[in-house]
Amino acid sequence: MTGSPLRAALGALFFLVVAYAAPVQASTPADFVKQMGDKAFASLSEPGLTSDERAERFRILLNEAFDLPRIARFALGRYWRTSSEEEQKEFVALFEKFVIQAYANRFQDLSGQKLNVIDAREISAAQALVLSEIEIPGKPPVKINWRVQSKDDEHKIVDVMVEGISMSVTQRDEFAAVIRQNGGKVDGLIKALRRKTGSD
Amino acid sequence: MKVVGIMSGRAARLAATATFIGFLAAGCATPPPASDQAAIAAFNETNDPYEPFNRAMLQFNLALDKAILKPVAYVYKETVPDPLQTNVTNFLANLRGPVIFANDLLQGEFERAGNTLMRFTMNSTFGILGINDLAGEIGMQEHTEDFGQTLATWDVDDGPYLVLPIFGPSNPRDGIGILADSLMDPFTWLTPFEFRIGRAVGTAVDRRARHYDQINDLEKNSLDFYAAIRSLYRQRRADEIRNGAPASGSPVPGGLSVMPQKPDGQQSKALSSEK
Repeated sequence: MTGSPLRAALGALFFLVVAYAAPVQASTPADFVKQMGDKAFASLSEPGLTSDERAERFRILLNEAFDLPRIARFALGRYWRTSSEEEQKEFVALFEKFVIQAYANRFQDLSGQKLNVIDAREISAAQALVLSEIEIPGKPPVKINWRVQSKDDEHKIVDVMVEGISMSVTQRDEFAAVIRQNGGKVDGLIKALRRKTGSD
Repeated sequence: MKVVGIMSGRAARLAATATFIGFLAAGCATPPPASDQAAIAAFNETNDPYEPFNRAMLQFNLALDKAILKPVAYVYKETVPDPLQTNVTNFLANLRGPVIFANDLLQGEFERAGNTLMRFTMNSTFGILGINDLAGEIGMQEHTEDFGQTLATWDVDDGPYLVLPIFGPSNPRDGIGILADSLMDPFTWLTPFEFRIGRAVGTAVDRRARHYDQINDLEKNSLDFYAAIRSLYRQRRADEIRNGAPASGSPVPGGLSVMPQKPDGQQSKALSSEK
């Protein structure tokens, strides 16, 4: 054991570099989707999970894989700018709850299903579209496309399209309709989301 | 393929809307005041001037569904063995072959037309009147087409959203499509009335049973079931018209919607190909 400060410094530097690089980062958007998909399938379809446990796992995965605040902002569309900061904050929080409630239990029965990444295309400098299929035994495969936003080696999903139906666009259209039915007030949507997610 | 001149988008749209306008006039939504630009933009984007009528029609269809179709589909789904249900689905899908073939041709999609013809020939004979999808098993996948989609490839506009009684979500273009498809369908002319009724009922029950869980999910998880269906219908149709090619020009979260709208996504560069 030498006491050389230089070696200690180098050692520390080495440690820092390794520690920084350590989180498993997928190199391409396609790898990222594949890895997240496999992880989600394994984690959510585990037998014996209660629905609360599944929802909690789903929440963690959701935030790891998706840029949820950004999707929420998109889903509010033109009304994002006209709402107050408190409204925006509450909306983003309710949106997360709403998504978990709507989707977590769809992963209950995934027996025999498999996610195959087929192709990836560049949409812009920062975005790629990853094309995939879910194999379901005895049924035609379901086509799922993922819009992935990348910065360096960090990837986040910003939209999912199932058979051409975009989750973000569907949410935005639906939220816009709720707001219109409430006289153009975002408050009406927030109240509806509170009721739906039991956050009254 | 574009057949401009046979039917221009404008003429077809006018003809289509004129048919419906009479009985729809009563159910018109009031446009927002001209001073509210944002509201006007939203109103136009929704393209649903008959919303009050459409919402009422959805309620009517849902009531009918709850009273008849849903319970029948449930019993069918729960009691009929799965392989038999697949046979029924295949048989009904095979009957659509000639109409799909005609629409493939009308769209100039000759390769797809060949696929449809081969499928129909094989499945009708060796597949025993279509109850087995032998062609699908050897890699000739089914695709659907209809005259609504054909009109879209001819650049005919869809027109305003319309909920039709019994048929459900539609628009003037797809409404005309349903009519045209049934007129060009040889089985409309070659089969007895009883068969046609049975086919219609069978198609409705089969489809309702296959989408049973999704419809339940959507009803349970949506804030505005009507608006959710409207959005889903439009996106699904747009996808079918593009023959499933990804739409890279659609708006994206984050506002990077500057890509030119190209239906086939050709402008996208392939990054990797693991096929």
